[in-house]
Amino acid sequence: MSLSTAPAAKLTLLNKISCAIFGNVYNPQGIRTGNKILRQRLVGPTVNSYYPNVKQVKLREITRMAPEMNLIDQEEKTRLEDLSERKKRGKGPPKKGQGRRSTLKKK
Amino acid sequence: MPRARIIRDMKARATVASSEVVRQAFRYLTHNTALPAKVRAQAQLQLNAFPRDARPTAIHNRCLETGRGRGVLRAFRLCRFQFRLKALEGELPGVRKSTW
Repeated sequence: MSLSTAPAAKLTLLNKISCAIFGNVYNPQGIRTGNKILRQRLVGPTVNSYYPNVKQVKLREITRMAPEMNLIDQEEKTRLEDLSERKKRGKGPPKKGQGRRSTLKKK
Repeated sequence: MPRARIIRDMKARATVASSEVVRQAFRYLTHNTALPAKVRAQAQLQLNAFPRDARPTAIHNRCLETGRGRGVLRAFRLCRFQFRLKALEGELPGVRKSTW
């Protein structure tokens, strides 16, 4: 008896047994079990390593770690100087209750 | 400091990497037709609740030099013009100009 003339019931049984022997999942209807998603490779590590991991060291970090070096942040220094200059000219921030909004309410 | 677009892409990559395992678990639940419909619907809602950067499609390879998002050669991670400049400078090992 060749395989093509075998009854359908026997063929399904054969399929079932062969699945059990070879460790395959017996799924004759081809139901979607979502196993293909579990089989997918995780892309996270490769995707995360696209850009070179270059950490920029900030001057502030150096001064925090080694304050004895007495490094001067020129940008911060000029900013503070400009601020004090503006304050001298009366352009500093208004005191609490002296701003535009609070004076509008009083009127 | 890298370009803003590159920083945005870095952020997306970090989000994808961190949420990938949980997202795939929910994706498995939605794709499994043997599960009850309610569970699958809830898994779909959970998937929607992820930030938009959590999708792998939010990632776009960008040029390391310029941050350009188009015409980026994957092997060199550079856009075509930066690739040409660097290749002519001899900064890319094994790359040489040829004519035929």
